[in-house]
Amino acid sequence: MVVRVPLNGSPTLCNDAQLRMIEVHNLCVVRENQVLLNQVSCEFEAGNIHVILGQNGAGKSTLLNCLSHEITPTKGQIIWQGQPLEHYSYAQLAKERGVLSQSNELAFSFTVQALISLGEEVAQRSKKHAEKVIATVLEVCDLTSLQHRDYLTLSGGEKKRTHLARVLAQIWPEEGECFSGKWLFLDEWTASLDIKHQQRLGRYLKQWANQGLGIIMVLHDITLTAQLADRCLLLSSGKIVADGGVCNVLQAPVLQQTLEMSVRVDMDENTNRPVVYPTLF
Amino acid sequence: MRLPAMWLMLVLFMVMFLSLMLGGFVFWPNDFIQGLSAQQSLVLWEIRLPRVVLSAVIGAGLAVSGVALQALFRNPLAEPGLIGVSSSAAFGAVFIIVLGSFFWQEVAVWQISGAAFLTACISTAMLYLIATRRGHTDVALMLLAGVAFNAIFGALTQLLLIFSDDSQLRSALFWMMGSLANLSWWSVSVVSASVAVATMGLWHLVKPMNAFLLGERVSLQMGYAPKWLKWQVMGWSALIVGVSVSAVGVIAFVGLVVPHMIRLWVGADHRLVLPLSALGGAVLLVLADLLARQVLYPAELPIGLLMALLGGPFFLLLLLNKRQFKGVSSLQGKGF
Repeated sequence: MVVRVPLNGSPTLCNDAQLRMIEVHNLCVVRENQVLLNQVSCEFEAGNIHVILGQNGAGKSTLLNCLSHEITPTKGQIIWQGQPLEHYSYAQLAKERGVLSQSNELAFSFTVQALISLGEEVAQRSKKHAEKVIATVLEVCDLTSLQHRDYLTLSGGEKKRTHLARVLAQIWPEEGECFSGKWLFLDEWTASLDIKHQQRLGRYLKQWANQGLGIIMVLHDITLTAQLADRCLLLSSGKIVADGGVCNVLQAPVLQQTLEMSVRVDMDENTNRPVVYPTLF
Repeated sequence: MRLPAMWLMLVLFMVMFLSLMLGGFVFWPNDFIQGLSAQQSLVLWEIRLPRVVLSAVIGAGLAVSGVALQALFRNPLAEPGLIGVSSSAAFGAVFIIVLGSFFWQEVAVWQISGAAFLTACISTAMLYLIATRRGHTDVALMLLAGVAFNAIFGALTQLLLIFSDDSQLRSALFWMMGSLANLSWWSVSVVSASVAVATMGLWHLVKPMNAFLLGERVSLQMGYAPKWLKWQVMGWSALIVGVSVSAVGVIAFVGLVVPHMIRLWVGADHRLVLPLSALGGAVLLVLADLLARQVLYPAELPIGLLMALLGGPFFLLLLLNKRQFKGVSSLQGKGF
């Protein structure tokens, strides 16, 4: 059962717009005879927050891993801001996009600050500017009071915020510039974060998207998705079943069919966004 | 970096000086003022000095190879002696000594070192394949595979010894215990050159090694392709272990104790840990050698034996300490 949601906006693209996009053409990923992604084609636009939704094993993380060039697709192509993704070196990509993985392993005791500066060094800034960037991302992720703590002694949520700060420091814009041309990939970033920090970072994400940062995230929290997303992509067994603006995709019938969840969807008149209530009954 | 490095250099200078002066034949400041006798200068230049220099170089090398293996396995418990890399190198050396005598008149130093290096390379790669799946190292598997490697290579070495003649047996036994006695300037310079080259090679990798600690995926995300890094780190550490094992035998725990102490002091950044561990390893082994010469004088304790006596309990303490913090289950997972 495929639900097609028409794309909003004009289909014609000028060259400039293409430079601010990631295009995915007929992506297939097959691993050990399992089809993880099947003919996936979609587009991601800079300055938008894209949320990828789907059940466990639907291929969300696989798609994100393809976009960050961690795995090579079996078939298909990704055009990264006008050029095939394979043409970029990992070092080049590291300066353009940051990736926050679902889980992180680290068995050595770095201080929070030292760990963040590992990400910061990728950008090769001047020493003075580097210190400023680190102070900023510490503040953004609410880690300033923890900056000298040993990473291994942190709680799960604090560890997550530390890694987010590291990723942000990697792609933080140069002084006086905005986020344009940079991308942030987040795989279930809300897991283990308390609501306070989810909201705090959610506000920041919106702000950065307005400055031109392209954000692609995998999220299970449908309520937060409704408030955060500009566009949604629904995956089911490796296929795209819905792709479009948040109001079009987050509709009760669509969600019931593809995510198999009990849900009630209202429209918030003030924000012009859907409000989603997952229900047990 | 500056201050800890200066401290360690000062300490190293002092212990090396002390180790030069003390021993079966004690030098007093007076002796230098009055001028050394021929016998004294022979002891100083041909026995004492090469020994002190070599123990410093090997201590530095073993600590550096510990740091490298710990980065490779992303775990602070990886150590060439513990995970069987050293005993595989010893096996390679004994193999060439015993079987090489059938083919060549005399087995050259470079052949022994080369064989030790090769077996160290192979065993590191095998361990990595066993313990690491999809960029994630299973600590328990790594340590258990190390136990198996130690058993296998230990048994193979002893098997070879059954087929060896008397002189081969004697020189092979010394690998099992580790000894710094009777070394020539020639082997000092071979070991020093190899350790220097390998340490410089690793020094160029400190940044990607830092990223690698966060996992293979993350190091890709941060712009470092981890494939090459792995082979390089394996190769450099195997070079150090192979060459030092073929020169002085198996000395365990230096690569565990020293990097651990240094991390407690300055944190886990490889730009600090690598050079400071080299200095710290040199200090530790020069001191240990001094102790090994003095403690049972006129007999001499094999340095490998002494380090095992000191390092074993340290390792147990480390395990106990980790268990207190996180519970035994942490041995299984991303752990430690």
